[in-house]
Amino acid sequence: MAESLPAFVGRRRPDWEALQELLARQRAGTVRLEELRRLDTLYRRAAADLAHAQTFYPGTDAHRFLNQLCGQGYAAIYQPPRDRWLAVRDFFRREFPATLRAEGRFVAVSASLFILGLLLGALVVLLEPRGAELLVPQGVRDHVAAGRMWTDDILSVAPPNAVSSGIATNNLTVVIFTFASGILLGLGTVFTLVNNGVQIGAISALCAREGLGLKLLDFVSAHGPVELSIITIAGGAGLIVGQALIDPGELPRAQALALRGKVAVKLVLGCAPFLAAIAMVEGFISPGSLFPTALKALLGLTLGGLFWAYLLRAGRDASLSSTSLRWAMASSRLR
Amino acid sequence: MASASSPSLDVATPERVALTLPVAGIGYRCLAWLVDATLLFFFWVTAYFIFSLLVSDVLGVFQGLSGFAQTVLAVGFFATQWLYWTLAEVFFHGQTPGKRLLRIRVVRVDGSPIGVYESAVRNLLRAVDFLPAFYAVGTLSMLFTRQHRRLGDLLAGTVLVREERFDLGKYTAAAQASAQALPTVLPAGAGPLASEEVELILAFLERAKWLEPDARRQLGTRMVERLGGLAEEERAAVLASTQATEEFLRARAQAVR
Repeated sequence: MAESLPAFVGRRRPDWEALQELLARQRAGTVRLEELRRLDTLYRRAAADLAHAQTFYPGTDAHRFLNQLCGQGYAAIYQPPRDRWLAVRDFFRREFPATLRAEGRFVAVSASLFILGLLLGALVVLLEPRGAELLVPQGVRDHVAAGRMWTDDILSVAPPNAVSSGIATNNLTVVIFTFASGILLGLGTVFTLVNNGVQIGAISALCAREGLGLKLLDFVSAHGPVELSIITIAGGAGLIVGQALIDPGELPRAQALALRGKVAVKLVLGCAPFLAAIAMVEGFISPGSLFPTALKALLGLTLGGLFWAYLLRAGRDASLSSTSLRWAMASSRLR
Repeated sequence: MASASSPSLDVATPERVALTLPVAGIGYRCLAWLVDATLLFFFWVTAYFIFSLLVSDVLGVFQGLSGFAQTVLAVGFFATQWLYWTLAEVFFHGQTPGKRLLRIRVVRVDGSPIGVYESAVRNLLRAVDFLPAFYAVGTLSMLFTRQHRRLGDLLAGTVLVREERFDLGKYTAAAQASAQALPTVLPAGAGPLASEEVELILAFLERAKWLEPDARRQLGTRMVERLGGLAEEERAAVLASTQATEEFLRARAQAVR
């Protein structure tokens, strides 16, 4: 027969409180090495107490208290490896481009969806000019009709919804939404990609018809290539999520989702600094006539080329060199 | 007892014990979000005031620098939408200020602390969970999943768990000094009570102070009768006053034999 509950609590309580105090200090980051050993011992004892409480005092406050205490101890002891700056450097040197190459087919599908939308939008407006009334937001149409670019005064136009007008508005919203809507079985991503393509295609075609094509080129050429690439990559990430939901393979859906979600978010996180950089280009270089169109186009093509060269080349030989290093070490040990 | 039906996170630790942590429901999460949203709101209000103190014609400046302003706004939007949540969750052990106030915490489904990727995923997904307004999608998802997870939690493999406050003192609280004068009789040969009965008595004693006098006496009497094992005159002595009744119950619950 087990001892009574109050006796059990009274006997073991000092240890639990010591563990609580150590855990609080561990969270604050002021624990010394020898105290960590003590924390480990106390945690193991508390785990044994929890097992005891589960058997003899289930459902009592003491049991629930021990559950919580052991949960906190478990979290403190089994921490994930801490990511340091070195890990960030390694992420951009190798992991991000490698992930992108490994998931290249998703990015390719995403790009083809986007281009499909682009062609559709452009074709509709070129073949049937009144199609623009359907596809291009009212504010933009008014500006084009007046022979001006809406980008001349972006803030006063405030396009109706941030997702639909791909060029002028918040790229971040578009990128995040393109990725995140993949959780709706991938349909959200597909819709966002095609929709953005249609919008941009229709707007370009409209501008070309009205003789504003050069002005549009002037605005988008500097940041367009990289920005559209980033949207495409985010779309690829969204499709990865969608695929995990539709076809989880041998794993349960929840696990497949969590596993693939990590891969997908690597793609999105990797894009973040490039998106910030390209936003600066869009803010400072693209509007106004400080730079000639030719220079902007050259800059845009160069940036786009560099971006894709980085994505396709970076870290490709890193794994090779590390294996050769390991091989060299192994052979030296053999000798 | 009370938490048997509420959802929980079950974790098997390497020490071969099963942890059962209570999961935070929609109410907790909603309140925590409100706290965080309020903080962010005040941040933007303050930022706006400082900015307008430095620059008199705010609107004019925005229009004059439309491209730059757009960049700044985009970055600011990004910060509120994402950086705040992610940085807080990564650096404060799964808690934003709002979550800390409500005593809830994000953990992985295996109970371990979250890392950068998990936090990034669940906070990027806010864009979808917020649709079409005020977390409608997220709320639906929380209603239909067993552990109240929104889409972001499903994708990241995370759960929000609740931390409760427990007062272990109630198990070992000494009898009040004033009551010690009263003789407390214990039935001869009574062994320790079952843990459910101990919990029941302690829960009653904890709340007794706030009960109506009548209800307090009635409940006390019923407790004594449930325990039984008292001779007739002992029973009369125990039930003579509420103080004596509760003292008897406390002594009975804490009896160590």
